[in-house]
Amino acid sequence: MNHFPVGWGRPRDDVYGAYNPSYLPQSHGGTQANPITHTQSPIVTGTSVLAIKYKDGVVIAADNLASYGSLARFTDVKRLKQFNRKAVVGFGGDVSDMQYLDRLLNSLDVEENYGGDAPAESGPHMSAKNLHAYLSKVMYKRRSDFNPLWNAMLVAGLDESDKPFLAYADLLGTTYSSPSLATGFGAHLAQPIMRRAVPNEAASRELSKEQAVECIKECMKVLFYRDARSMPVYSIAVIDGKGVDLKEDEKLENQSWAFAEQIRGYGTQTV
Amino acid sequence: MAAMMQSAMPTSEPGYSFSQAPQSVAGGPRQHGFYPYTDNGGTTLGITGSDFAVLAGDTRSTSGYNINSRYAPKLFKIGGTGSANEGARIVLSVVGFAADGNALKERLDTVVKMYKFQHNKEMSVHACAQRLSHILYNKRFFPYYVHAILGGLDENGVGALYSYDPVGSYERETCRSAGAASSLITPFLDNQVNLKNQYDPTSGSGLEKVTKAPQPLSRQTVEELVTDSFTSAAERQIEVGDGLQMFIITKDGIEEKYMELKKD
Amino acid sequence: MFIARSEYDRGINTFSPEGRLFQVEYSLEAIKLGSTAIGIQTSEGVVLGVEKRVTSTLLETSSVEKIVEIDKHIGCAISGLQADSRTLIEHARVTSQSHAFNYAEPLSVESCTQSICDLALRFGEGAEGEESIMSRPFGVALLIGGWDEDGPSLYHAEPSGTFYRYDAKAIGSGSEGAQAELVNEYHKSLTLQEAETLTLRTLKQVMEEKLDAKNVQLSSITKDKGFRIYSDEEMKECVGKLEGN
Repeated sequence: MNHFPVGWGRPRDDVYGAYNPSYLPQSHGGTQANPITHTQSPIVTGTSVLAIKYKDGVVIAADNLASYGSLARFTDVKRLKQFNRKAVVGFGGDVSDMQYLDRLLNSLDVEENYGGDAPAESGPHMSAKNLHAYLSKVMYKRRSDFNPLWNAMLVAGLDESDKPFLAYADLLGTTYSSPSLATGFGAHLAQPIMRRAVPNEAASRELSKEQAVECIKECMKVLFYRDARSMPVYSIAVIDGKGVDLKEDEKLENQSWAFAEQIRGYGTQTV
Repeated sequence: MAAMMQSAMPTSEPGYSFSQAPQSVAGGPRQHGFYPYTDNGGTTLGITGSDFAVLAGDTRSTSGYNINSRYAPKLFKIGGTGSANEGARIVLSVVGFAADGNALKERLDTVVKMYKFQHNKEMSVHACAQRLSHILYNKRFFPYYVHAILGGLDENGVGALYSYDPVGSYERETCRSAGAASSLITPFLDNQVNLKNQYDPTSGSGLEKVTKAPQPLSRQTVEELVTDSFTSAAERQIEVGDGLQMFIITKDGIEEKYMELKKD
Repeated sequence: MFIARSEYDRGINTFSPEGRLFQVEYSLEAIKLGSTAIGIQTSEGVVLGVEKRVTSTLLETSSVEKIVEIDKHIGCAISGLQADSRTLIEHARVTSQSHAFNYAEPLSVESCTQSICDLALRFGEGAEGEESIMSRPFGVALLIGGWDEDGPSLYHAEPSGTFYRYDAKAIGSGSEGAQAELVNEYHKSLTLQEAETLTLRTLKQVMEEKLDAKNVQLSSITKDKGFRIYSDEEMKECVGKLEGN
C-alpha cells in the first residue's frame, strides 16, 4: 500500500523505475526550456449586461447563467448586485472575479456605513457615481499590475444629486457613460435597439419607467434568441428615488421562434 | 511483497516522481495572456493665435466597430479649484487609450493643484508642459498610451500649444492634430495654417514663385478651420464623429463650445 | 529664566507644561553664539554680508565659507553651527535643481525657504512608520536672498522652522546691536552700493575684531548677475569706501 495519495494511480517507481520527466518544462521538474505559459483568461463567465436610463432612474438587467466555455454550467447565478439603495452593479465576464468584487463592495459598504444609523432618506449614501469611480480605479489598478479582474460591468443608480446615473467599467479600466449601455454581445445586439429608444440624454429624460422596462425586456429576448451563452431566466432591477426594486427570477415572456423557420443554410437542410 | 511495502513506506522517497516544488516561484517572472491596452479612437486638434489657443476633440468613444458612447470628452481643464476646475487656464487633450488618458489627466491635475498650494502662484503652461513630459517619461517602460496636447497662454499672453508622444518627447508648436484622423487633418493644417504649397500669385512662375509666409490667424478663422477639419474627418474616419467639443483659452478664461457631428 | 526646566528639556518633542519646546529654544541660543550675518534688500538686489572670525593669523581666511550659493538666483548667509548648514544647503540646492528640472523655471525664493524650513522640523523620534533623520534641531539660522519673478527678496529661516521676510535683517552674536542700526538706517530707496556700505558699517560696529577686507565677506544677488560672492579686489574696494578704513 502506498501511503502517499499523490502516488496512487501512477506508475510505481519500484516496478517501472522513476518517472521520466524530461519532456516536461523545468517548472514541472523537466528539462524543457519553455517558459511557463500561464495564459490568463476567464473560466466561468456571465454574458451581457444591459441598462437604460429613464426620466426618474435606471433599469438594468442580466441573465442568471454562468457558462463554462460552451457549457451552461450554473443556471442560478445572480449577476446584479445591489450596493445600497442608490446603486446596483451588473457584472459580465468572469464569475469568480465578480464574487471577489462583490465581497470587496460589501466590505466597502460596511466601512462606509457602520458608524451611522440606518441610512436616512437623504443620508450620507455613496452614490452610484462614487461607486463607479471607486470600481474603475480598482479595475485600472489591477490591469496596471498585469493582474486584471476579468469583468465588464455597468454601474446603475443615482448620482449625488439623485439624477439617473449609468456608467461602464471594464478589465482595462476603460470607463464611459451613455443613456443606454450594454456589455458583451449586448453591445452588438441590444445597444442598437436601446439607442432607438434613447438616442441622447434629452430622450432619456422623456422616457417613462414602463417604456424603459419594456425596452430592456425586449432586448433580453433578442439576446436570448441570438446569444448562445444566454438563458431565458434573468434578473432585472429598477433604481429610482424610492430605492432599488430587484427581481432575480424573471422569465422571458412572449417568445416567438417563428423566425427560426426562416433560417436557411445550416446542417443537412436542403430546401 | 515486503520489498514493495518497504519502498512505499513514508520514510522513503515518495513513489510519486513529479516535482513537488511550487509550480511558480514567488517573485519570479509571470506571463499572462492579457494585453493591457486598447484604442478608443477619436481625434484631437489644437491651433494657437496671438492671444488665444484653441483645443478641440470629437466626443465619440469606440471599441473596434462599436460606439461605446457618443459623449466621452477628450478635453480636460487642468488646475483651477475643485473637481470642476474653476478658474483653470490650462487644457489637456488626450487621445488613444482612454483609461490611460484619464489617469494621466488626474495626475497632472493633482500636480498643478499642489503646485499652487506650495508656491502660492498659478503654474505657467511652460512649467506644466515640462512636468507633463516627465510624468509620461517616468512611465516609459509601461507607457500611458496616449497622444497628449497641452494648451494655454504663455507668460506674454500668446497662445501656447505643446504636443507629446506617449513617452514624453515634446515640442511647442502653433498647430497639431493627434489621433485616428490626424493623418487626414495634418495636411489640411499644413496648407491652411502654415500655408504650405501656397505661393504669392503676383510673383512669377517656376523658380520665381514666392512662398507665402504664415501669419497668426484670427480666432474666427481658427474656429472655422477646426469645424471644417472635424466635419471632414467624420466623413472619412469611422472612429470620428458624434460631437465636437472645443475649448478656447483667452486671457478671460476658458470658453467651451459644442456642436454635433455625424453619428453614422 | 532657567527655573522649572528640569525635566522638559530632555525629550526634544516634549512640550513643557507652559507649552514650550526647550530644545528648540536652546537651538536659537546656539545661533546667538554664531558670527554676525546681515542681509539687506534693495530695489536693485539683495546684499548679504558676514563676519569671518579669524581666530588665528595662520588661518586661511578664504576657507571660511559663510556665504554659499543655492542656485544661480539664490544665495544664503549662515550663522551658527556651520556643519548643520551643510545639510540644509544641500537640501535647498537639490530642491532648486529638481524644481528647475520638473518645471523648467527657477524656484521662487519663498519656496526655497519653505523647503529649508520643512527640513528644519524633521527632528525627534519620528512618527510611527516614518524614520526621523535627525536627533536634534539644527543649530543654524540662515539669511536667504534671491531674485525671482517677483523681484528681490530676503528671508530669515530659523531652527524652529518658522521664516519671515525682511527688508533688512541681522543674525548671530551681534544681531541685537546690528538690527537696531538697520532699523535706523534702512530706507526703501537704498541703492545696492549703499546697502554694501551699510552692511559693512553695521558689521564694523558689532565686530570684536577690527574690520578689514579679510575678515568680512560680501555677496549680492541681482537680476542680471544672479548670485555673486565678491572677489578680494571688490572687498578691498568696498572696505576702502568706509570711513576710518
